[in-house]
Amino acid sequence: MSKGTFLGEFEQVVLLAVQRLQGQGYGMSIRREIEKRTERGVSIGAIYATLERLERKGYLTSWEGDSTPVRGGRSRRHFQLRPEGGDALRRSRGMLDRMWDGVEIAGSSKAR
Amino acid sequence: MKRPPLLARWILRQAAGPGYGKAMVGDLDEEFHDHALRERTLFGSRMWYRVQVIKSLGPTLLQRARRAREDHHTRKTGDGTMQAFLHDLRYTLRGVRKNPAFASLVVLTLALGIGANTIIYSVVDGLILNPYPFPDADRLIAVGTEYPRLGTDLTFIEHISPPEYMDVRDQTRALENVVAWDMGNRQVSFGDVSENLFTGFWWGDAFETIHVPAFMGRGMTLEETIRGDRVAVLSHRIWETRFGADPSMVGSTIIMNGNPYTVVGIMPPRTILYGMDLWIPMGVGPEAIPRERRQWQVMARIRDGFSMEEVNTELEGISRRVEQEYGAEMEEYEGWRMRALTWTEANVRTFRLAAFILMGAVGFVLLLVCSNVASLVLARSAGRRREMAVRAALGAGRGRLVRQLLTESVTLAVLGGALGVGIAYFGTQAVADITSQQPFLAGTVELSTRVLLFSAIVSVSAGILFGLVPAVQNSGSDIQGTLKTEGAGTTSGVRRLHLQRVFVVVEVALALVLLVGGGLLVNTVINLNSADTGFRPADVVSMRLTLPWEEYDGPAIGAFFQELEEQIAAIPGVQAVGRGAQFPPISFSWSRVAAEGMEVRDEGQLPMTMTTLASPGYFSALGIPLERGRGFTDLDVEGSPLVSVINEAAVDLLFRGREPIGSRVRVGAGEDDPWFEVVGVVGNTINQGIDQPTAPELFANHGQVPEWSNQMFLLVRTAVEPLTIIPAVREVVRAMDPDQPIYRVQTVSDVLVQSTAPRRIAAGVLSVFAAFALTLAAVGIFGVVSFAVGERTREIGLRVALGAEGGQVRSLMVRQAMAPVVLGAALGLMGAVALGRVMTGLLFGVSGTDPITLAAVVALFGCVALFASYLPAQRASRLDPVQALRNQ
Repeated sequence: MSKGTFLGEFEQVVLLAVQRLQGQGYGMSIRREIEKRTERGVSIGAIYATLERLERKGYLTSWEGDSTPVRGGRSRRHFQLRPEGGDALRRSRGMLDRMWDGVEIAGSSKAR
Repeated sequence: MKRPPLLARWILRQAAGPGYGKAMVGDLDEEFHDHALRERTLFGSRMWYRVQVIKSLGPTLLQRARRAREDHHTRKTGDGTMQAFLHDLRYTLRGVRKNPAFASLVVLTLALGIGANTIIYSVVDGLILNPYPFPDADRLIAVGTEYPRLGTDLTFIEHISPPEYMDVRDQTRALENVVAWDMGNRQVSFGDVSENLFTGFWWGDAFETIHVPAFMGRGMTLEETIRGDRVAVLSHRIWETRFGADPSMVGSTIIMNGNPYTVVGIMPPRTILYGMDLWIPMGVGPEAIPRERRQWQVMARIRDGFSMEEVNTELEGISRRVEQEYGAEMEEYEGWRMRALTWTEANVRTFRLAAFILMGAVGFVLLLVCSNVASLVLARSAGRRREMAVRAALGAGRGRLVRQLLTESVTLAVLGGALGVGIAYFGTQAVADITSQQPFLAGTVELSTRVLLFSAIVSVSAGILFGLVPAVQNSGSDIQGTLKTEGAGTTSGVRRLHLQRVFVVVEVALALVLLVGGGLLVNTVINLNSADTGFRPADVVSMRLTLPWEEYDGPAIGAFFQELEEQIAAIPGVQAVGRGAQFPPISFSWSRVAAEGMEVRDEGQLPMTMTTLASPGYFSALGIPLERGRGFTDLDVEGSPLVSVINEAAVDLLFRGREPIGSRVRVGAGEDDPWFEVVGVVGNTINQGIDQPTAPELFANHGQVPEWSNQMFLLVRTAVEPLTIIPAVREVVRAMDPDQPIYRVQTVSDVLVQSTAPRRIAAGVLSVFAAFALTLAAVGIFGVVSFAVGERTREIGLRVALGAEGGQVRSLMVRQAMAPVVLGAALGLMGAVALGRVMTGLLFGVSGTDPITLAAVVALFGCVALFASYLPAQRASRLDPVQALRNQ
């Protein structure tokens, strides 16, 4: 992978959302968690694309869950962080912390 | 259970392929279910689902491609679907390059169909479905009233009085942010110039109710609006055009009728609430105004946890309490009801029928286009049978072939759609230019995301629709037979011909329905144009003038207008000048009227007439004929006995044929209201609109009761082009009072035309559609006969060789072509009768099943169909039998 061992921003967001949900995470709940916390609209397609990529890299593990009538009999797929995923998150955060260390940016942040 | 949009789901499922596609669709269905429960409108949730699918397509396809690539490196197994799709796409594009004439014909036809659909949908979406930019628009309501005793239906404009507004505001539990406003005009000075601004006078902060924040600053508080603080909110338009979008405007002052007002806020850039340019406080409390002054509007938000039904139950209860309390003294309260509709519904319901008929019509056009294109594809596939057979022989399964053919048709449809959106881009701009000049039309017509989404869905569906039948038909050919004989004269050719005939039936039926609809509306417009208006609207220009009460009392108003009329009469080119508080077809002022000698058991039984303040020149300016007695004169002045002129309809209503002249009528339901002597009778006019029955109308001389109105229309009949005298009129007004501008300058003919605008627009658009449909149907008929001639060359050759005359061959071919046309016409007539019923509300002077229109359409269609089939039949009759037989 061209980004080496560091995670992309959205990958970090998805991994953190999975971790926050403590094993209760599946596509839609992850999407809602991200929308709630980042206040950004995210499509379900983008979520699954990233989940699949992260699972292929070995950062996540997944299993089939239960199904309800409103899902048309389609099972949920639950995701959980693997130790490698935690390591990757810590690495990315450490890198950012090291880059930020001692940096001051002038000006106030703009209120939204 | 609420169902998500199936096509969108299917598309996402296909795009996702194996892997987590199933779980993803399940998740989306689950959230759709929650969404639908929360939002209440299924339409919105389905839209949300489609948007989700579209947003998801990009990442999903990318991930799939990535997965395929990785798997390819590791396991060497390709992802079949995706690769096949790309292969089909390349193949299609190669086909387009090889046969550009066919492709451009298909793409162009589709572009017209999809373009027309996009334009109409953008209008319906922008003006009818989503005209207001307000968040949670389905929780924003308008309170309307209906008075069975006054014979009025549910009304939402200038219909409610301040005490009634207080009843709602104080007693409601289901509503919040209940605000009320009155609309009028205020003079605002900008440096040396002044402008009359369309103004709202408010109780409460409208921004809170519509859930749209002020662009800058804030709205007015309830306390400010009741106290009458000198604060104002300006429209974005005025802020931009008059103050150069100066950001320091909030907090500075503007001068209104000589008084300084502090600007506290600027409205957002989009036109909101009828395009009002200025909001200021009402200035008095609602309790200070009598119950019968019903010229306000009320809007509110439904409080969380309450439903529309609960709002209406509550409003009904409030109405009943008011009826019990005041019903004895105010009869109009008997059976009166307040009822809420969503703000959008309340404001668009009059346009809805026309809009949905156009939507239906344009849908028909698209079906016709699809049928036509399907027929074209079918004809072309005659030349591709061998190709299909070869591919099938080499091992392509039927599903694979159908998929390839569908890819072709959808690709063509998407190209057509793209071109169609290009056409629609210009079309919607033209429409937007027209609609933006109508202040009461909210909303903007534009190619919004929703419209583009609609076009995309329409394009893909059209591609599947017109591609499916030929695809299934083609892929199932008999391989051996085709390869052996090259198809000519085989059963598949006959089957194809049958199918094409089916398409002709469909095309004829659809086109006939559109033609009848267009014909009925054109008839309606002709009837509207030629209807007897009862007066002479040509060469009259109308304009409005409002004198502020702050500066003019009653006598001053009368004197001002009289002087003004005299000065305007002296302008060269002016033939007659008069003034009136209303003129046909504008009819907002009504009163209860009693006639002398009329037996009235109680005051509430009194009849209603339109009451129009007019000057002596009013009747000659409008060309309303005096039937008996006299009109008003300048000798009727304040203090002299009050006189009145009534129309024929009022004679029937009030005097039942007795001679009215010399009798007296009382204007108003109260004992103390004034009596007028009837001095003249004028002819009936279309005083409520061309398509409405004449209302009884009573005229009072404004010169005698000037304090009744400070707002009058000036009506000037000219010997020259009416609008050319406006500068001279402005000059006269400016010389008399530089602060008072004239506004709403329009010729009376234009006012009449605009009053029927929805029908005229519908007639114009539908006529264009009908012409397009007729052309498509003719092309379809031409195509099927040409194809039949081609298929039967050998047979025709034989017939000619055996002695058939050219005429016999011709009539054989035409006769056979006419069979599907007649069947289609029969179906179309049935559809047209149904359409006529739906359209009744739009028609005037013509019934929905007008036999003349139906006969004319059938005759026109017959001629076109005969002509379209005659051309190729003629070719068949000239076949050289030797050539024809040798060719086979």
